[in-house]
Amino acid sequence: MTAPLPLAAGAPVIPDFGRGSSCVRDNGAFCWGWVGDHWGDTLRPALLQHLALTGIAVGIGFVLAFLLALAAHRRGRLTTPVVLVTGLLYTIPSLALFQLLVPFTGLSRTTAEVALVSYTLLILFRNTLAGLAGVPEEVRDAARGMGLTQRQVLWSVELPLALPAIVAGLRIATVTVISLATVAVFVVNEGLGAPIYAGLQQTFKTELIAAGALCVALALAADGLLVLLQRALTPWTRVARSR
Amino acid sequence: MNSENTAQTEGSHAYPRAAPLELRNVRKQYPGAARPAIEDLSLAIPAGEVCVLVGPSGCGKTTAMRLVNRMIDLTSGEILLDGASVMERKPAELRREIGYVIQQIGLFPHLTIADNVATVPRLLHWEKDRVAARVAELLELVSLPAELAERYPAQLSGGQRQRVGVARALAADPPLLLMDEPFGAIDPIARGRLQDELLQLQARVRKTIVFVTHDIDEAIKLGDRIAILREGGVLAQYAPPDELLAAPADEFVAQFVGVDRGLKRLALSRLADVELLPPNGDHAARTVDAATSLRDAASLMLADGNRPLTVVDGDGRAIGRVTLELISAALDRRPVAR
Repeated sequence: MTAPLPLAAGAPVIPDFGRGSSCVRDNGAFCWGWVGDHWGDTLRPALLQHLALTGIAVGIGFVLAFLLALAAHRRGRLTTPVVLVTGLLYTIPSLALFQLLVPFTGLSRTTAEVALVSYTLLILFRNTLAGLAGVPEEVRDAARGMGLTQRQVLWSVELPLALPAIVAGLRIATVTVISLATVAVFVVNEGLGAPIYAGLQQTFKTELIAAGALCVALALAADGLLVLLQRALTPWTRVARSR
Repeated sequence: MNSENTAQTEGSHAYPRAAPLELRNVRKQYPGAARPAIEDLSLAIPAGEVCVLVGPSGCGKTTAMRLVNRMIDLTSGEILLDGASVMERKPAELRREIGYVIQQIGLFPHLTIADNVATVPRLLHWEKDRVAARVAELLELVSLPAELAERYPAQLSGGQRQRVGVARALAADPPLLLMDEPFGAIDPIARGRLQDELLQLQARVRKTIVFVTHDIDEAIKLGDRIAILREGGVLAQYAPPDELLAAPADEFVAQFVGVDRGLKRLALSRLADVELLPPNGDHAARTVDAATSLRDAASLMLADGNRPLTVVDGDGRAIGRVTLELISAALDRRPVAR
């Protein structure tokens, strides 16, 4: 850490640990004072980095899985190979996958993102494909019969009806990535994994608890936002079946 | 568009438009199938008439219908809509000119009733105001209250959904309507009502309609002409209902229309349509309205000891008498087109 400063005349003998609340001095179980003091320099940056790690991973994962699902929807025989490959990626232990990638992409954010993206693919692919396959055949038939082109059937009938399944996949993928991204600290010192890891190295546990709680709160908030997004996008799923 | 019947190209049904349809030596062979689904079918449907395709399952009636809007492409032969081959059209563009109603209806669950009905007009890039006006007009045409417009299909009853299906098919005022067992999944009472409504609707819009069903009674009720198909899409008989019942072409048709074909035929005529015996002032005789079908009149007499009935007009005035012999004689007359 920081090199010890030469003691100036008149300086206190005991080093200054910030405001040094009694909770921190006594190594309390959880010190709100510490959280307040280190929100700006530790927790907030870590939270924002975590959000970025997650957003980029889910975003890239969604684009890849979506394109793969569209291709597999049109050509059914693509489904099995895609499920096999993404399923294999999904089973690799996260700690191992991060380390496996280091020789190729180094101790970098790229390594973290590649690993995180690979965990989203299976979930997002399967849910998107299932959503498209779940569109009732008669709806597709009526759409074609009324003169919608293949592209119009996809974009204005099949995809809207697949939305609930797609968003369900996004929710699982997002929560999974928020949790997994803490492990990325082994390749890049970013995200909430950093304060969690730091907390593990010391007897003072407030940093670990605060970062862990932020991670859980982030997952709950992201999940809640996606639920709201789905409600806004799919009003027809909530109508009363009045007759 | 070149026939007299199709001069109108704009959407308003104030000028009904309909086009003749002709199938010429149509053949459909699915790859890998031992026998063709349809061997050699020729059929001409005049503009503005209802042609019912009827037959046992596997007779190719739905296949024949789906060939018309190219949901299936034919193997050989020709299908002419208003004199022009459908094979020369882009499928999506062709289908926008042909109304399409299927048994499961296939309403879009994620769109409101108004948006469902507006589907084809929007594909044709109609202006917003015109679409809205047309949607309102169509809901009224199929007797649906205007407040249903903003509901979703899941909020409607089966009968209401079927009406929306018909409204959606009529939206861009197509010259031809294809209906594949549209009332097959509806309970019998609602089905009868929907059939009546379709007849009333047809009296107003006068479309050419190809209607597929396996129910001969539905065919007799709705068809101007009935095409009875047997396996392999072979046309067993193509005739107006009365002729079909009076003179079945062969044993297959006779069996298909049923041993009660005489009664079914009686159901097609009303007392007002036949020459009655003069009234004899018998006040003891039961009276029956002139709008009653011959079948119901015969049934009344059979239940009442074969006594003649006095036929009255709408104001209750006696206009004649009817006997079982008279009704029996009516079956001997030559069949007439409806």
